[in-house]
Amino acid sequence: MKPAPFDYAAPATRQEVLEALAVAPDGTRVLAGGQSLVLEMNQRAARPHRLVDINNVADFDRLEVDRAEQDGGWLRVGALVRHRAFEQPVESGPLGRLLARTAHFIAHPPVRSRGTLLGSLAYAHPTGEWPTLAVTLGAELVLASADGTRTLDAESFLIGPFTTALRPGELLEEARFPLLRPTTGTAFVELRRTAASFAHLSAATALSVEDGIVVDVRLGMAGIAPQPVRARDAEHRLVGRPPTDSVIAEAATVAAAGVTDPPPDPHSGSAYRRHAATVLAERALVKARQDISEEVERP
Amino acid sequence: MRISLTVNGEKFRLEVEPRRTLADALREDCGLTGTHLGCEHGVCGACTVQVDDSAVRSCLMFAVQCDGHTVRTVEGLAAPDGTPHPLQSAFTAEHALQCGFCTPGFLMLAAAALDEDPAITDDPDRLRELLTSNLCRCTGYESIRRAVRRAADMPGPPD
Amino acid sequence: MAEPGTPGGSVTRVEDGPLVSGHGCFVADLRVPGCTEAAFVRSDTAHGRLRAVDLGVSRQVPGVLGAWSAGDLEEIPLVPVLMDPDVDGGRPWPALAVDRVRYSGEPVAVVVAEDRYLAEDGRDAARVTLDPLPAVLDPQVAARDEVLLYPGRSNVAVETTLGDPIDAGVWERAAVVVEARYRYPLLCHTSMEARAILVRPDTGGGITVWCSHQAPHRLRGDLADALGLEADKVRVVVPDVGGAFGGKSETWPEYLAVALAALRLDRPVRWVEDRKEALTAGPRGRGQSQWVRLASDAGGHLLALEMQTDAAVGGYPHTGSFLPEVTGRMAAGTYAIPQVCVRARAVVTTTPPLCPYRGAGRPEAAYAVECTVDLMARRLGMDPAQLRRLNFVRPEAFPFDTPTGFRYDSGDYAAALDLALRTVGYADWRSEQARRRAHGGTPLGLGICTYVERSGAGGEYGALEAHADGSFTATSGCCSTGQGHATTFAQVVASELGVDRRRVRLIEADTAVVPDGVGSFASRSMQSGGEALLRAARDLVSEARERAAARTGVRVDTASFERGAVRANGSTFTLAELAADRPLRSEARAEPPQAFPFGAYVAVVEVDPELGTVHVVRLVAVDDYGTVVNPLVVRGQTYGSIAQGLGQALYEADVHDEEGVPRAVSLLDYLLPTLSEMPEVAMDETCTPNPNTLLGAKGAGEAGCIGTPPAVVNAVADALRIDPTVLAIPLTPRVCWEAGR
Repeated sequence: MKPAPFDYAAPATRQEVLEALAVAPDGTRVLAGGQSLVLEMNQRAARPHRLVDINNVADFDRLEVDRAEQDGGWLRVGALVRHRAFEQPVESGPLGRLLARTAHFIAHPPVRSRGTLLGSLAYAHPTGEWPTLAVTLGAELVLASADGTRTLDAESFLIGPFTTALRPGELLEEARFPLLRPTTGTAFVELRRTAASFAHLSAATALSVEDGIVVDVRLGMAGIAPQPVRARDAEHRLVGRPPTDSVIAEAATVAAAGVTDPPPDPHSGSAYRRHAATVLAERALVKARQDISEEVERP
Repeated sequence: MRISLTVNGEKFRLEVEPRRTLADALREDCGLTGTHLGCEHGVCGACTVQVDDSAVRSCLMFAVQCDGHTVRTVEGLAAPDGTPHPLQSAFTAEHALQCGFCTPGFLMLAAAALDEDPAITDDPDRLRELLTSNLCRCTGYESIRRAVRRAADMPGPPD
Repeated sequence: MAEPGTPGGSVTRVEDGPLVSGHGCFVADLRVPGCTEAAFVRSDTAHGRLRAVDLGVSRQVPGVLGAWSAGDLEEIPLVPVLMDPDVDGGRPWPALAVDRVRYSGEPVAVVVAEDRYLAEDGRDAARVTLDPLPAVLDPQVAARDEVLLYPGRSNVAVETTLGDPIDAGVWERAAVVVEARYRYPLLCHTSMEARAILVRPDTGGGITVWCSHQAPHRLRGDLADALGLEADKVRVVVPDVGGAFGGKSETWPEYLAVALAALRLDRPVRWVEDRKEALTAGPRGRGQSQWVRLASDAGGHLLALEMQTDAAVGGYPHTGSFLPEVTGRMAAGTYAIPQVCVRARAVVTTTPPLCPYRGAGRPEAAYAVECTVDLMARRLGMDPAQLRRLNFVRPEAFPFDTPTGFRYDSGDYAAALDLALRTVGYADWRSEQARRRAHGGTPLGLGICTYVERSGAGGEYGALEAHADGSFTATSGCCSTGQGHATTFAQVVASELGVDRRRVRLIEADTAVVPDGVGSFASRSMQSGGEALLRAARDLVSEARERAAARTGVRVDTASFERGAVRANGSTFTLAELAADRPLRSEARAEPPQAFPFGAYVAVVEVDPELGTVHVVRLVAVDDYGTVVNPLVVRGQTYGSIAQGLGQALYEADVHDEEGVPRAVSLLDYLLPTLSEMPEVAMDETCTPNPNTLLGAKGAGEAGCIGTPPAVVNAVADALRIDPTVLAIPLTPRVCWEAGR
């Protein structure tokens, strides 16, 4: 299990990275944390002709909260921010807590100290934790190339298993997660077989309740479709109603109804997956509701 | 490509292909075969070493990425005078190894964690999460967990 | 020093020093000048006619030194059979595929280069042309002979019938008859170091072979036969071994190909199996499909057990064909069932080669028997512990001849079960279970497995020499793959001689130094190898007493031995003194019969009824290995085998698609337990010494693989209040959810 030969460049600036990517963009891959890419290269499932290593670019490890904008602001994550950075809350609000909860589901500490959040989005594993969260929260992704930049929302970026909207020559430069209003409870739940396996299914949610009524909710699911999806129908069932057990159960059933063409797995069929998705969606929502009472309403 | 890296305090200047993994550079070019390759896809952790004090999978890094960096392997765990690291003594005391193939990876994983925060052994969940990083097929892990706890209670590393 | 009842005591291991400091030496760590590396071109098809292998481009790859397929060799060596020389029945296994491939991953060509990177470049440049044939994965399907792996020959390679046919009236007279089907999936050994070999041609036409192996003397003989060399031209050295578990006691086709390449290149060639090879093309274990029928009277006395088991032995019936028979011989389990009859078949399938995997036939038997006994308990409305107790072979009945032809040496099965039930707190858990069933709560289940297994096979060589400096050299034909022989064999010798164990040095695993040996598998090392060293120690003492008697001019029976010294006629001679003039050494062979360790496992589980996930709350293991030399080491192996047993019960399976292509190509798909999957484990032992040896040891180290899976499956069934036969291992969330609906 040794990689096939490739050329290697390790530019020191953003501009040099984009220029390097523009040269023979087909067959060139970006090397950030490498925890998925090198794995595939060792298996020779990936055979890039050239790697552009971005680890020497100082600015790419930026992790900033930008509260200046409208809509509550954004958390901006650079291309070299490692999973590990999120193990402790990176901001004091619900988003920081949700990212921290989610980070602990990712692989294990040594992989988390190398692997990056943006790399995980670009890898686009169908049940990857960060892709699931990015879809759930409506993260915006900034793609840069020598020709300029463009911004896509996560759902437009993740178009299939291990497939994204990245074009040859493009770098996924930044992810922007919307900050969550303080009244939001969050949860991330997974079904996996062992601590060393990928998730079969996961559910992520951010639930805002004011005066006993759901004012905003995000519910994302992975493992029920070829890529993580937002359960919008379920969200609609929740908004404007009190988050009672029965309302949550109803929403969870709706969320799982979207099981279509799940990613293949020899150990779980679609009937089980649909059922388990309902359970996970329900548990995520219940946990988020509990999170409100424990974290948001803490005196 | 020409690179230089510092391994266990010694400077190595190497000529390597870009595709050479850090693990192979350590084993084949530096002659440090204590770092083992058990899966070459980042799961088993037998190849765990410390790069700039962080425990990483040396099968998932290229040697060229370590140009100018500092690497510590199991051969660099004991004190220069040969005094064993507390983890090394504790692994023997707790019978935390049988075939010994996974042992260097567990040692480097635990050593990095104890260096960073010795209190990790006071938190059962954090310790479990840490030691879930690597695979062992012989021990069933409990003796490894006991060994790391024992090492944390021993006098500090000789360096 | 020694704990009561143990000749050695829980001392820490002498072999750990190099292993914790990075100075161990596994095959991949060897620095042999001029060494090259091999990679294999493998079939990507499970079954097919091999049309062409084009290595032209491979040979042009820079750094590639040579590449060979069967067509490039005048004569292709055949893989030797493991046990019964007639087992292949005219189904030869060439080192490289000749005209047909019979499993996905079968070696088709070997490419040798200056390093592994280049060898893989050469491998990828090879072009293999195959005409696919239908895959046959299930042994029961294969046994129908609709798709033949060997035209003109049945897929059933071996068929064995054990026990007398069961009187048909039994099934009619019985109060309850249950039937069940089981499928034990194919498993991967997954030692952390996969297979590895290095072959160096020596001047004079011989070869030196370093191999990660369990049986160096057999490997030497096999390589010599296959390559047409005299046995003394082949030296096999086994350096540190990164776990074996049964997958390294064979002579695999890759080894022959590497040796051929080394001889042709006249350079050392090494092959280190990588994880992808190990998971897709490497040895497999288990893989049985079983049918069991069990009859009982109304009072719970078992009357008859009938079993049919078919093993998927892979494309070549060489290494695993004896396993279904082992399963069949264990079909009576711990019970005195008057009539037992088994049909055991080894069936070729288009899957990688089957071979022993930790437990080797016994886990398959325990699973079928113990789940069926639980099924019977449900039908009878009896507590499963009570049904077992009622039917155990009684302590006074040993030696006990089973209807399947085994002679159980000794045991007290009820004592082990009672200790296990006390340790787990059986009554309290049953109360908690009743409380939850009445008032709600996560479903809780208890599962029991009482097992008996077989350990040891054949004799073993041991030798001992006392040196004038007060040290000792012990030589054994065994071969440690992580078990700690250097520590425990030294303990056996030291405790017999009354000397400091640190003065006893062990030599094994080198055919140039150890004249004879069988190796380490079937839990035989302490039972046979330890016994041989104990006998050698006693012979050494006899010789020492004779020398001392002769020196002092007294009769030998007046010379006494104690704590490393002989007292004769008022003088004391240490063994070192008696070895000063001429070598003081002894040799022994131990030929103990097979032994039958036993025990009882109890699992307590919770099952999430909504998701089907299983949480093993507690696992109690009570094992009886006879005399235990080093409890620390033995418990370490028990614990590790429990982890593997949990893997079997809950996570591990070699899954293929319909075309026979493996689906689990990495450790992200073939799932091993991590620390986070481990339950709270409690271990205890009873001790019924081996009556057929001086040492009293029976085999240890495989029990957890045997006892854990049925205990967990029975516990999950109990939690879900279903028949255990509705479940199938591995107990994935989906399996448990579907079973519990």
